[in-house]
Amino acid sequence: MKGFFQNLLQWLVATLRVVAITTVGTGVGYLLGIGLSFLLTLLTTGTGVLDFTSPAGVVLGSFFAIPAFSWSVSGYGPVTKGFLLLTVSGLVGYLVGVGLDSIIMKSFRPTAPVPSAFSLLFAFTAFFFGVYGYRGITRGLVYQVVWTLIGGFIVTGIRALMGLSAFGGFFFTEPAWVFGALVGAVAFLFGVGVMDDWVKWARGMDTPEFHEDEPGWEKYLGVSLDHKVIGVQYTVTALFLIAVGGTFALIFRTELAASGLQFLNVGMNLFGQNGPQLYNTLMSLHGMIMIVSILLGIAGIINYAVPMLVGAHDMAFPRLNAFAYWVSVPAAVLLLMSLVLGGFDTGWTGYPPLSVKAPVGQQMFFLGVFIAGWSSILGALNVIATVVRMRAKGMTAMRLPILVWASVATSIIALTATQLIGLSFQLVMFQRLFGMGFFDPAKGGNPVLFQHLFWFYSHPAVYVFVLPGLGVISELLPVFVRKPLFGYRWVAMSSLGIALVGFLVWAHHMFTSGMNEYLRVPFMYSTLLVAVPTGVKFFSWVATIWNGKIETPTPMLFVLGGIVVFLMGGLSGPPNATVSVDLHLHDTYFIVGHFHDTIFGGFVFPFFAAIYYWFPKATGRRMSEFWGKVHFWLMTPAFFVLTFGMMRVGLLGMRRRIADYDPAQGFDTTHLILTIAAFAIALSVLIFLINFFHSIKHGEKAEGNVWNSRSPEWQVPSPMPAHNYETPFEVVGEPYDYGLPGSKYIEFMPAQGGKH
Amino acid sequence: MAHKQDKASMLNQGVFIFVYLAVLTVLEFLVAASFNSTAVLIAVALVKGALVVYYYMHVYKLSADHEGDHNSYEYKSGTNRLGLWLFLISDAFVFGGLLVMRMNLLGLTRPNLNQLLGLGVTSILLISSFFMNRGETMIAHGDRKGFLNNTLVTFLLGLGFLIGVVFVEWRLAAHEGLTPSSGAAGAAFYMMTGMHAFHVLTGLVFLAIVWINGRRGLYDEKHYPVEAAAVYWHFVDVVWIVFYPALYLVGTAIV
Ligand code: HEM
Ligand SMILES: [Cu+2]
Repeated sequence: MKGFFQNLLQWLVATLRVVAITTVGTGVGYLLGIGLSFLLTLLTTGTGVLDFTSPAGVVLGSFFAIPAFSWSVSGYGPVTKGFLLLTVSGLVGYLVGVGLDSIIMKSFRPTAPVPSAFSLLFAFTAFFFGVYGYRGITRGLVYQVVWTLIGGFIVTGIRALMGLSAFGGFFFTEPAWVFGALVGAVAFLFGVGVMDDWVKWARGMDTPEFHEDEPGWEKYLGVSLDHKVIGVQYTVTALFLIAVGGTFALIFRTELAASGLQFLNVGMNLFGQNGPQLYNTLMSLHGMIMIVSILLGIAGIINYAVPMLVGAHDMAFPRLNAFAYWVSVPAAVLLLMSLVLGGFDTGWTGYPPLSVKAPVGQQMFFLGVFIAGWSSILGALNVIATVVRMRAKGMTAMRLPILVWASVATSIIALTATQLIGLSFQLVMFQRLFGMGFFDPAKGGNPVLFQHLFWFYSHPAVYVFVLPGLGVISELLPVFVRKPLFGYRWVAMSSLGIALVGFLVWAHHMFTSGMNEYLRVPFMYSTLLVAVPTGVKFFSWVATIWNGKIETPTPMLFVLGGIVVFLMGGLSGPPNATVSVDLHLHDTYFIVGHFHDTIFGGFVFPFFAAIYYWFPKATGRRMSEFWGKVHFWLMTPAFFVLTFGMMRVGLLGMRRRIADYDPAQGFDTTHLILTIAAFAIALSVLIFLINFFHSIKHGEKAEGNVWNSRSPEWQVPSPMPAHNYETPFEVVGEPYDYGLPGSKYIEFMPAQGGKH
Repeated sequence: MAHKQDKASMLNQGVFIFVYLAVLTVLEFLVAASFNSTAVLIAVALVKGALVVYYYMHVYKLSADHEGDHNSYEYKSGTNRLGLWLFLISDAFVFGGLLVMRMNLLGLTRPNLNQLLGLGVTSILLISSFFMNRGETMIAHGDRKGFLNNTLVTFLLGLGFLIGVVFVEWRLAAHEGLTPSSGAAGAAFYMMTGMHAFHVLTGLVFLAIVWINGRRGLYDEKHYPVEAAAVYWHFVDVVWIVFYPALYLVGTAIV
């Protein structure tokens, strides 16, 4: 007992120290911020105004909080150095931006978008410079920044020669920004080094088939061809974006806590947007950043697991694999740029005509999504080729792990449908740039066409989000109930079934859009049909759990949570699909509740399950069970409160995508509870993140078959060696025959002379 | 299977297929000029596309060598081939989307374009596919000189197509008042031809790369890069086989 209290005391002291140092850092930044804005008002208007809610205080406060936090947790290591540089060069970037802007615009505009853009780019780049030096990702980012400017200036120069306006409210004009951003993104790829081998091939040179990776964590910040490294890169990037998107959500959720405009009011001004505009931008970016993080998250699971599950030494095209990951990084930068370049207010769907009128941020958003789409497409291509061509001996179609089936189904959608969102966004971009009238009725265009093209991807995309997660559930469930998976064939085929039916339902998002009315009924029935293959999965899970010897370590908790939450999402879908009901539900918070249930059940919970489950495989250590359970038991109830509350206010008449609501509607209290629930979820994820990074170095050692799984990757010691299995294996039985005496899934072949 | 045949018969086959394609092209042109049946135009485009996909792009090779040593050149080429086709399927969805856009916005009307020029650039691209096929056949049988010459001709024809569309057709159209911002027809026309021209341009880059490397002495029976460049080139041709009637022939001309 004494030891326990001593531990508790130590833990409390350590936490207090972290909190104290972080608070001091934040305070210093905050004071600096309001001091600066005081000086500014003094300089510009002659009378100084001390504004305690000035955004400068908030921004600088958080700028200073980060290095302080990092220093208090890990001391002065590379990460703290990175964060310090981040803060410093964020400020330098801001000053450079202000300077350039005031020279060219001939007026002093400290809250204009450009200084923020510079600040963001400088800070991002400097962080990686501090951590890693001038190579890999740092070099990519430097290339991106420099070439964005070069590209922008080229167009600006051409415009000047043509007698058009050279600069605009956002420093560059819109065409200059778009061209610069495109050039910058391509330059990133050359800078980071992922094109090196291809350039050599094009020049007729040979390259070695593999490249040795640096040891330790440094290999994650440069180009690696190892699918396991790339899987981790995807996963960590996804977690980063989840943190960013989640922060945005907390900001606008706080605004929604009560009716009336709290702090995102008309008087404030940040990044050239007033409060309600900023609300719209944050809401829109929350949606798309989360979607991109899902795409990267599933790519992380698939990349990490699939080659090991099928017994391949890597993906079919390792260089393409690296390319697909790295192309998502400049895409993420562009998405963040859209926040500071005026933002946009369309939501993640970007419907014209609104998206034709929004500021330049809309273009950065379109371009970012377009480029991220290539990550998805090329990754999917690689997965299909790997599964078709690289399987171990004896791994026939009906012996493939379910996660592999799910990944293939996902990839079929991502490979094909993604092009259509790319195209729809591209058409709006061109409409903005060249006045092409695709969606402009005045020119004979058709705005509803955009919605068809957009949803032809974006409905199937929701299955891209969930199929891998559902695959993870089917994959892990037998391990933790020690029973065979029920109805293997049906489950395997249900993924394909969902993927294929998913192509035929898109217009259920358009029941109120003014499309031809006779289209409604067929799309209603095709949508309801999706419930059939989805139901197959549920029957299989329930029957698998039935009478099993259930163990509940953290991964299993998240699997079970995923099943229940996805059930809620699945049950709230058919009402939306029923035309008569959807005419009322469309664009209300009920929809928001519905899709958060599906996405958390189908992606977020399984994603956490997968991380807790494969973490020991990747690191040789396991994450803390205790904090894992805290994470689960905090997040799950809070999440139910959140989505059921959303559905409730939705049914009572709360519209989607608006910053305010009428107190007469009587749901102020519910909204307050929702905001509290949102913060509880954020806290649980913070706990997860700390557990994650802490366990990499300090977790309990776990080098064997931690979960007592039959899957091939667990039959060899962790962490996995560079090219996976040293001796190839042969599949000799069924994958999920847990608990059947004498059954065997794989057998390692006797070592051969040549290399595999 | 066709690909096991000797060089002479492969080259002959290329000629026959080209004659079919040429006849069908003339046919569709005449159909459009006389009784303009959309159904016939679609049917002809499908047949032309299928001929190219099968005989020039050798789609059947996808089913070959699923067994065998995973480290052999053949097996790896098979994997690369699958990857390339998956990419083309993906890319086809872009063009499919553009076609949907065109149908939705314009229906059975079309921009009023220069018919002779359209037939001209279409023929140039078809002929380039013919030479590409010859070039690939030749390197497969170890004839480097033949490969280089035919690829060069392909490249020049492709360049001719690009110039024909971007520098001649676009100017003529703009002169007639069809500009990107003039309306839905202009938007559809420039978007479709522009996206296709961009693919022609990348195809030219690939052709240049294999041609230069071929001159340096790369490629023998192991010539997957040449095959890839050729398949891509033919794919760009297939797209035009559909876009040509969609832009120049279907329906009645407006503006
Ligand atoms: C039984 C299965 C499902 C049915 C019947 C269904 C039905 C629908 C319908 C009809 C809508 C449009 C409602 C409206 O806007 O008026 C909708 C919206 C949505 N659903 Fe589902 N859904 C199902 C599963 C899923 C899954 C698995 C996901 C995600 C992973 C998902 C994600 C979404 C999203 C993101 C939206 C909102 C899109 C937006 O307007 O921004 N749904 N669902
Ligand atoms: Cu949908």
